[in-house]
Order: sequence, then C-alpha cells, then structure tokens
Amino acid sequence: MRMSVYIIRRVLLLFPIIIGVMTITFVLVSSLGVTQQLISHFGAPPRQAPWLYDPTTSCANLHLPGNGSCANPYYHHFVSVLGLDKPIIVQWAYYMYNSFTFQWGRVNNNSALGSGATGNGQYAFTKYQPVTQVISYFLPYTLELAALALVLILAIAIPLGNLAAVNRNRPIDQASRVLSFSGYAMPGFLLGTLVVMAFTIGLSNISGVLIRTPWCPSGEGPFFEITGSWPSVSNCFGGLYPTWLSQGVISSPTGFPTIDAMIHGQYWLALDTVLRIILPALVITFGAVAVLLRFVRNSMLEVMNLDFIRTARAKGVPERTVVRRHAGRNSLNVTITVLGLTFAFFIGGFPVVEDVFNLHGVGLLLVNAAIYPFDFGVIFGSVILFTYLVVIANIIVDVLYAYLDPRVRLG
Amino acid sequence: MAAGTKSGPGALFRRGFFRNPRFDQYRRTWYFLRRNTLAMVGLGILAVIILIAIFAATSSTPWYQMTLYCSHPYGGSCSAGTPGVCVYTSGPPPAPNCYLVPAGHEELIGPTISLSPLSLGPLPLGALSLDSGGAGNHFYSVFQGLLRGSDWSLLIAGSIVGGGALIGLFVGVTAGYYGGLMDEALMRFVDIFLSIPQLLFVIVVGAVVFAATGGSLPFLPAAPAHIFLLIIAFLVTWWPFYARLVRGQVLVTREQKFVEAAKASGAKNGRIITRHIIPNSVYPIFVQMSLDVGTIPLLIGALVFIGFVQILPSQYFPEWGAVAALGSSNVVNNFVTCQLGTCFVPWWQILFPGLALFLFAISVNFFADGLRDALDPRLRR
Repeated sequence: MRMSVYIIRRVLLLFPIIIGVMTITFVLVSSLGVTQQLISHFGAPPRQAPWLYDPTTSCANLHLPGNGSCANPYYHHFVSVLGLDKPIIVQWAYYMYNSFTFQWGRVNNNSALGSGATGNGQYAFTKYQPVTQVISYFLPYTLELAALALVLILAIAIPLGNLAAVNRNRPIDQASRVLSFSGYAMPGFLLGTLVVMAFTIGLSNISGVLIRTPWCPSGEGPFFEITGSWPSVSNCFGGLYPTWLSQGVISSPTGFPTIDAMIHGQYWLALDTVLRIILPALVITFGAVAVLLRFVRNSMLEVMNLDFIRTARAKGVPERTVVRRHAGRNSLNVTITVLGLTFAFFIGGFPVVEDVFNLHGVGLLLVNAAIYPFDFGVIFGSVILFTYLVVIANIIVDVLYAYLDPRVRLG
Repeated sequence: MAAGTKSGPGALFRRGFFRNPRFDQYRRTWYFLRRNTLAMVGLGILAVIILIAIFAATSSTPWYQMTLYCSHPYGGSCSAGTPGVCVYTSGPPPAPNCYLVPAGHEELIGPTISLSPLSLGPLPLGALSLDSGGAGNHFYSVFQGLLRGSDWSLLIAGSIVGGGALIGLFVGVTAGYYGGLMDEALMRFVDIFLSIPQLLFVIVVGAVVFAATGGSLPFLPAAPAHIFLLIIAFLVTWWPFYARLVRGQVLVTREQKFVEAAKASGAKNGRIITRHIIPNSVYPIFVQMSLDVGTIPLLIGALVFIGFVQILPSQYFPEWGAVAALGSSNVVNNFVTCQLGTCFVPWWQILFPGLALFLFAISVNFFADGLRDALDPRLRR
C-alpha cells in the first residue's frame, strides 16, 4: 500500500471515533433537560426577558390577554431550531450537524465563567460569545505549552531510557526507575505547587522585592514573574495592555503569544512568554516521562537481545553506533506507539498545570467553566476539542510508525 | 480415619484449595515477590495504611462528625457550637494553647509537634483551612483529616478499580474469546471511550449528573449518594483500559493447547471461559489494578484543586487527594495575596497530606512492579 493511501485510510477511520464521542456527549447533553440545552446553545436569555426559555410563562409577559400561563411561541421557536421537539434520532442528527460545523453553543451569561465570577473577573469578556471563538482565543497558549512539553518529553525519555537499558541494573538504571516511580506517585498539582513555592521563595531571596527585567523595567514580584501567560498589566504594561493584546488573552494576528510578540518586534516579551511556559512544561514532562521511560527501557532491552545486534557487534561496529543506529532506531517504534497511547493521559494533565501556573490555555478555560454554576457549552466544547487533538495525535503517530516500520503499511 | 475419605483435619490439604495446582503457582509468585525488597517495602507501607484505615472505619468518629475548629483572636470567640482556637499575631503567647499567626491570617495555624510524641496538642500536624481564610475560618487538623479520610480514600479507590476491572474483564473476555464481529464492535466502543481524556470525562460526567440530579441521587441519602456519584463518574471512564488489557491477554490464551483440549472434550463456552480463559488471563489486571489504586486519589485531588468540589459529598470530605489539594490551593492562594518578603507559607498543609499521598502511591507502585516481575518469568532476575 502506498503511503498516501494508508494516510487516507487512517483519516477515514477517524470519523467513527469522533461520531462515537459526539454520541456520548449527546447522551450527556440530552440528560440535562431542555432549558439547560437551550441555555448552552443560545446563551442565557437576556436579563430583561428571562421568560424566553420558559415554556409556560405568564400571559402578561407575552402581552396576551388572560392572567394564567400562556404557551410561549419564543420558547417553541428555540426548541424547534435545536430540533428538541423531534424524535431522539433526529435530535441526534441535529446535534451531529451542529458539532461538526463547530456550532458548539455560547458561553452562558449566568455561569460562573460568563458572569465574570471566576479569575477575578478577567474572563468576563467571554460572556455570550460563541464557544468556538472563545476556545480559539485560548487554544494557541495550550498548543505552545504542548509543543514545548512534547519536545522535552522526547529529549528526556529516549536518551534516559536507552541509557538505563544499556546500563541495566546499574545505578543509572535504578535512578531512572526511582524517577519513573516518583513521576507516577507525584500528582501534578502538588509538584506544580512545590515548584511555584520554591521558585517564588528562591527568587525573592535572590533578588529582593521586585525583579527588574528588560521587558518589565519597573519590576515585578517573583510570584507574578513565574505564573501567568503575560507580565502583569499593572506593573509591566503601565496599566494598559498593548493594542494587539486584547483583554490580556486575545493576541493578534496569529493568537500564539510568542509569535505575536515577535511580529510586533517585542523580542524581550517573546522571550518572557517562552520562559513562563518552561516550568509548567517541566511539570507535565515529569509525569509523562514516568510512563514513557519504562517502555523505552524495556523495548530497548528486547531489541538489544536480537540477532542483528549481535551481528553488528561481531563485525566490529562501535558500541555507540550499535546503541544509536541499530537498536535506538528500532526501539523508536514502541516509543512512538506508547506516546500515542498516552497522549490522552498527557493532555488530561493540562487543566491542572495551567491552573497552577495561571496560563490562559483551554485547560484553564475548562477549569473556569467547571466552577459551579457550570458552563456546559464550554465543557462539552473542550471535550470535543481535546478528543480531536487526541485523535489527530494518534493519526500522526500511526503515520510515523508506518514510516519507521514499512511492514505496517505493506501488511 | 482412612486415607482418601472426604473429611477430617487434613481434608483441606488433600483436596480443595491447597490441592489446586494453581496453589503452587500462588506460592511461587509469593516466593519471587518475597525476594524483591522494594515490593516488600511497598507491601509494608500499604499494610500500615490499611491498618490505619481499618482503625478509622471501626472507631466511633466518622468523617462527618470530625471536629471542625474555628480560629479567633485572643479574647474573641467563635459562633456557638464550634470549638475555637485562640490566635495572636505578636509578642509572647497570651495564654497556653494560643497560636502565633501572621496578622490577618487567622487560618494559618501551624503544627504543634512537641518533643514528646504523646503530647501532640489539640491540632496535630497543623490546621487545614477549609474556607477562604480570615477570622472565623473553619479548619480541621491535618492529622484528623488524614486519619478520618483514610478508610474512604481506600474504599473509593478500591471500588473504582475493582468495578472497572470487573466490567473490563467481562467486555474484554467477550471480545477476545468470541472474536469476529463481536470483537470489532466492542473494541471500537472501547476506542471511543479511550480517546476522551480521563480527567475531562470525569468532569463532564460529574457535572452533568450533579446538574441533572441537583446534587443528590433520588434513591439514596445525600452523602452516600455523592460518593456513589463520584465512583460512577470514574467507573465510566475507567473500564476501557482493562477491557483492552484483558482482550489482548485472552487472544493469547484462547490459542493455547489446554483450551483446545477442553473444547475437544466437549466443554461448553461458559465452562471454558470461567475455568480456563479467565484464570489464565487475569494476572496482568492485578498489576494494572494495583498501579491504578494509587492514581485515583491523585486524580480526585486534581479535580478538587481545579475547584470542581461538586464531585465531593461535602466541602469538608477528607479524601486524601482532596486534603492534599486543599492544602496546595491554600499555599498558592497565599502566594497571590502575600506581600513580598513576608510570605507566610503554610507548608504543613501541603507537606503532610502530600507525603501521605506520595507514600500510598509509591507503595502500590513498588508492589505492582514487584508483582509484574514475579508473574512474568522473563522479567525475573
């Protein structure tokens, strides 16, 4: 099979999974009841007309004669737009259509997120905006963090796993084992808190009250130097964000903080945005390496016992080359497969880490949406988004695997 | 009594459990496990934790009757019914059992471990503040929280892992043994569940059930209903891992000669599955289960840390992960509000719960690693 055919086949296999996930979210959404579904799709009704989503509001509200309850034509209009008055299978079709066309509803005015009750009101600007648009503001921050974390994971897990396998049961193997165990046993929130604590205290001991940097000449406190996606607006931006950084979150034109800062010629600020995601990326790496390290080591051990390694050694290939070229490349298959399998786990840790370090990613958006009263539009939107990310990552892994091991696409 | 009769003191040895050929396998596994120092250390820590949990479960004070203290400045008082602890901000202690705290942070009462282990004082291992802080803030001692929460932490982790393993075993064996269309359908179903990140899935299921039921299930009293909800939210996301694991193992087992022999001698599917397939493919699950038991408190802690406390039966529920998460968020919040140079870190709120959580997780990891080595002949050293 040619590579292109293989890729197309893999992409087509993606759809059943996406449809399945959306079906699960559909079941959950349906169990919320009609009013909640209307709210999460259209946003809450305006404060002046809370009766819009009320099926039997009073006749006075509708300017109709009578003083009892009246059938509400507005309510029935909203219900029929969402297809909620139709059989369940038709509702499912409506839901699928909306999900695939990225109509994921609006941020609810009355939820903790939309009403500005979370994060000192800094996310109040999301109120009544389409969920897809809100997610598009936050996603680039997550992608930057994920890219850095992925690079760190591969750069640490593969060499360390190889080293542990080559020096089996020697101190370095034991050390990697201890690292792996502590990664399993150390929750992200605890490690993140410890890192923030250590660096805040350490920085304040070294540099005193305020840290003066080229991008913040007036100085910033150590805690705010470590957390947050941007320098604090009051100290470093003189009370006003630059025009290209709206609300402290929405950066233009690309949305990626580092790239945007560079486009606007603020190279120090770009460096600052990178420095701010190094610690969170390391926290994520610590957990993910724990999973990956053992697999890399074990697959390397298996490969090292194969015949072609013995042949290579017998014909006098230096040990370094044997480990790197012969064994390393062959054990990479397993590494990549495991990375694909653990990607969901890896990405599941983002809300916590983004919360600890106060980074404006989708994880933090989800955290704010999951504060009572919940914002179901954002919650379900981010579930579908994260599923897309996982599935796409799996396709990339499969294609890489097929590239590394031609037997996969030929067989 | 003549040899071969079916009763008597030695009957248990002559037939039944100890004559089961599998018993030799258990003994062999235990032999290899016993020689693994790390696994034994893990098992020892685990045994201590389980003993503590049994003590907590059988003692007369359940978690919801745990003493909630409240802090007040020296000379002040708390609302009726809540025992108060007096605090002062400077100078010598105005009375015995008064605590030094930073001004405006009455909740930050430190540990009182004196030199004698018998005089732990009223707040052993320090206070864990539960509200936003300030005077009149509620807290329990970290020691009480960890003690009273131990039984429920283990129970919740155990039921999630046990329930998930049972469902996974059922689905995995069905898919693996019958194969074909059944296998395809079940495994695609499993794939769908596996592509939703776990923590997100728990948040979604928890939030929907909470919103749909208004916080309590209709058929149970409030606290057990909440714990039930928590377990269900985790179970929905937990079983697919086991299903995949079991299926892989069953695919290998069903090709073995003894399964073929059983089929040839006319055994029905039900008997083959229960007598041959399950006993011979169940070991990898034990390893995975013991790994997962340590993960669940960490995940619950993560949920509490990000503020999804609706997953708990009460804000004061001392699940170990929740205790560590409350402590962590207190530490972080204190950094947000503190003035530089005078940062007061309530380190005991993160150190002791974190240590408990870490010890639990690492002990099950040590044990699981040892178990894997003992069960898999290729890994024995």
